[in-house]
Amino acid sequence: MKRTPKSVVSLLLCMVMALSLLCSCAREPDNTQPDAPRNDAPAGQEVETPKDGPAPEEDVITVMVPPLSNNYFAEMKKWADQFHEEYPHLTLKVIETSWDDHDQKLSTMASAGEAPDIAEVAYYNVGKYVQNGTAIDMSRYMSAEQMADYDANVLAFLQMDGGTYGAPLYTGIQTIGANRDMLEAAGVDVDKVQTGGWTFDEFLEALKNGTTDSCYGFVFSASGVTSADYVNVFGKAAGLNSAFNEDLKYDFTSRKMLNLLQATEDMVAAGYMPDYGIEALARWTMCITGEAMIVGKAPSSFENLARKNNAALDANDGTATENSIRITYARLPMPMMEGVPESCFASVDGLAMFRNVETTEEHLKNVATALYWLSSGDRAGFLCGDCFETPVCGSGREAFSKYAQEGMDERNAACGEYLVSKVIAPPAGVSAEQQETASRLLDEVIVPKVQALLAGEVGAQDAYQMIVDAAVEAFGEENCNLN
Amino acid sequence: MKQLKDKQTGVRRLPGDGRWAAMFLAVALVMFAVFTLYPLFYAVKTSFLAYKPFGSDFVGFKNYTDTLKSALFWKSVRNTLVYTAAVVPLTLLLSFLVAVMIQPFTRKIQAGLKAMFYLPLLASGVALSVVWQWIYDSSPSGLLNIVFDFLGLPQQNWLNSSKTAMLSLIIMALLSGLGQNIIIYSAALMGIDNSYYEAAEIDGARFPAKIRFIVLPAVKPTTLFLTVTGVINSFQVFMNAYMLTGGGPDNNTNMVGLLIFNNAFKYNEFGLACAQAVILTIIIGGISILQFRMTGADVEY
Repeated sequence: MKRTPKSVVSLLLCMVMALSLLCSCAREPDNTQPDAPRNDAPAGQEVETPKDGPAPEEDVITVMVPPLSNNYFAEMKKWADQFHEEYPHLTLKVIETSWDDHDQKLSTMASAGEAPDIAEVAYYNVGKYVQNGTAIDMSRYMSAEQMADYDANVLAFLQMDGGTYGAPLYTGIQTIGANRDMLEAAGVDVDKVQTGGWTFDEFLEALKNGTTDSCYGFVFSASGVTSADYVNVFGKAAGLNSAFNEDLKYDFTSRKMLNLLQATEDMVAAGYMPDYGIEALARWTMCITGEAMIVGKAPSSFENLARKNNAALDANDGTATENSIRITYARLPMPMMEGVPESCFASVDGLAMFRNVETTEEHLKNVATALYWLSSGDRAGFLCGDCFETPVCGSGREAFSKYAQEGMDERNAACGEYLVSKVIAPPAGVSAEQQETASRLLDEVIVPKVQALLAGEVGAQDAYQMIVDAAVEAFGEENCNLN
Repeated sequence: MKQLKDKQTGVRRLPGDGRWAAMFLAVALVMFAVFTLYPLFYAVKTSFLAYKPFGSDFVGFKNYTDTLKSALFWKSVRNTLVYTAAVVPLTLLLSFLVAVMIQPFTRKIQAGLKAMFYLPLLASGVALSVVWQWIYDSSPSGLLNIVFDFLGLPQQNWLNSSKTAMLSLIIMALLSGLGQNIIIYSAALMGIDNSYYEAAEIDGARFPAKIRFIVLPAVKPTTLFLTVTGVINSFQVFMNAYMLTGGGPDNNTNMVGLLIFNNAFKYNEFGLACAQAVILTIIIGGISILQFRMTGADVEY
């Protein structure tokens, strides 16, 4: 057949479509540092080579992190260069993610055998990576001195099945916070509460005095999946410190859960809490617009947000939140129900080592070197200063003074110290399988029942019974605390 | 042009065209094989494993039995059926009515109206969900609650109450997904010969009779196609539930697609997720076959 221009164009279009198959298989470009030049020692600094034996082989270590603090990514770029200067044969390759997609991206990569060497992981997610064999026990590759640098009670959050699966970066204390002026007007001695705690009855009295037609006494973001925060964070008030008690029995079936659900039902019925779902962002907006007296969950960074909004209001530059008012933010400990020892929720985020298809023993030693370097010293001090948290390793505490932000309310800082002292680590000996089952129960049973309770569709007793039934089916009655 | 006559059948064939046909088809077939067929077979294989990236364990039919014994799975199937039963017929009805209503207009106005209805389909599902979250905000400042307040109606806990959460997703699906059906129905309506309408007018038929005896039979193939594809898409719904409700409240908007996603990417239970995906495929395939058998006997494409 004679080739016509039409047939040639058709053939070209076919080839473009076929070649697009190959393009779609390409990896999306990483948001990474350009590769540092190999063997590139800064002027005047010799590259150390062992006198006995060959020069260490060059290695690239991938690190995947979300924005752990406002300036984390910017500092990470500098740290990658500093690390390479200190270890010329090692190069850090940083993959920047967002909070929205970090967990999913890591989970997918790990499942495909392509996990980064180091990645940020929250303590409650470690179990699934231990279960699928991708998380590495870092204690096998770190020295005793390095391991001892981390605070033992915080390190415990990342330990299971006899191994240590992450280096803690900070303890993110999640508690409740308040408009100080409103709380004082409701009759609360805020200074005393911040460093001495308060009872649940005192808390309810404050809500009763502070709730008006235009202001809720207590707002906790519990819309959708944030209901898990309500159980994990506010559950401390009822003594729900962990999914498992010291005897490693499932603790969310205990009377403490019923007490939490009952208290919630009563607060909603009394009008102290809204009877509709509050989105995560909405809780802070309600606080600074005077529509809520006490809010949760409240990270330490809320103080900074309040200061910035106040400054914007003073400057009158239009950047302040609409209808917002000047507030003095007060960080508060959790109000404790009768007979419950004081505690507060701590989410430990850390950096973990992962196995992928290219992992070798030599590579893991280099990864451990990078892991310790990134989670200690100046790096740890900077991160905790940048996000208003307390360092969780000795070397980080030494460096922290350089990075602690000025202008922090001393009273809130004192409350932060008080709260850190109340952190109770989860019991040792919880297996990865137990943790995963507990996580599933939380997502598939407890959170839905809390959502239904907040919407007034199920009573506290019924919700509690459904939780017990599901837990007994999952763990067996002998492994559940029903007291 | 040289033509060949097949010795056995006597059919005239053009050998050059045959090669071109194979070449064009090869592209689509290769893409189908790589992106649809291979993942399907891999999913079936994975459904018999307790998947781990470094050494999976063969577990036989355990994932299937766990799925069939799971109350959450059946709740998700029920939710998906409810969603499908509401969205598909209503979408067909609304898009048919809109297509009929815009028929009398000029081509230009029709094009403009079709574009307006089609625009939501071009927007990212995430962007749409963010807007709908604002509309469905349960606080007094939520858009829909402001309208309800203006009309003197009680405010609703749209996405956080079991009474309204599924309804919210259905409304979102209806208002965002009419465009494609309207365009397809418009094309079908334009394909109806005018002589039928002229004959009907001579016989004294009015508008409802024309719709019933001319339009509906004529667009039956289109309706069957849209029904089958609508059911398939509805059974695979994921984005709306994921972005707006997360499957809540109390798992009352947890669809099978979302359940599969959570099992795969939240809990890393790829074997279980694949088993659920295979079961979903069987359900969708069964319903599609049923649809063709019941309503498609006299339809030809």
